[in-house]
Amino acid sequence: MRLQATQTTPAVIPTASMADIAFLLIIFFMVTFTIEVDRTQVTLPKTVMRFEVPKKAAYVSITEGGQLKVSDGEQMSAPVQSSDEVLSFALEVLGQDPSKEFVLKADDSVPYRYIDETIDALKQARAKVIYLLSAQETQDDGSGSGS
Amino acid sequence: MKIKKSRVSDEIPTSSMADIAFLLIIYFMVTTTFAATRGLDFALPEEDDQPPVVEKEESVLIEIEPSGNLVVDQKPMQLSEVLDYLKPKLEVNPRKPVIIRPDGNAPYGAMAKVYDELRQGADKGVEVKNIAIPTQREIDRFWF
Repeated sequence: MRLQATQTTPAVIPTASMADIAFLLIIFFMVTFTIEVDRTQVTLPKTVMRFEVPKKAAYVSITEGGQLKVSDGEQMSAPVQSSDEVLSFALEVLGQDPSKEFVLKADDSVPYRYIDETIDALKQARAKVIYLLSAQETQDDGSGSGS
Repeated sequence: MKIKKSRVSDEIPTSSMADIAFLLIIYFMVTTTFAATRGLDFALPEEDDQPPVVEKEESVLIEIEPSGNLVVDQKPMQLSEVLDYLKPKLEVNPRKPVIIRPDGNAPYGAMAKVYDELRQGADKGVEVKNIAIPTQREIDRFWF
């Protein structure tokens, strides 16, 4: 009887598809990459209803202590001192693009008077839509119970 | 004398491609942030010098106290009861205005919760079509 020679598996990791996978990953990250224009740390209010905020929308952020920051959606947010400056900012932004949307990124516990002044400034500047940025409310958060 | 001919390779050098690709992947992975990009939309009315047509008596007034508790048409109420309260009123007048009026010291989160609850009404068979959140300046100018 004739014995067959034992087959040896080559000790090589196949890397032919590595470049394809790498470029797919690059394309994924390039498509999903967005520059975060406002990095203010706030605890967002939780809501059930949430809609996608338009890209390039202008931002007004309000921290727990009532500090204001604004961004036109292109440049990083910069602090402003009062709602009058928010009005000037909104007038400038809407002067360039009257249909520009605004995003209000405010802390959950900030006193409402700060929100009121900001919304009023945006109303005076004739903004059309404001998005109240929120986090997703889950079942564990006890949606709809209590006030 | 023997002349050596230098031969130019007709292949594109790809040995460093994987390094470049992985550097790009690492860059995008590190700089990608999963920012919150969702929220409640709130359409603002046109700024007008004329007083609003809405009369206080015709609307439902939801006040938010500094503690976050709700008072609806002068009656203390839980958030979960608001839509039940509104349902019969909206059946009579589907365009009945519902005004949210938070106290200046009430937490913003309380206002967001009330607005969210009213917006959810459409899914619960109580569609609130006319939600207003007047600012203090508008209240001072137009409230009667």
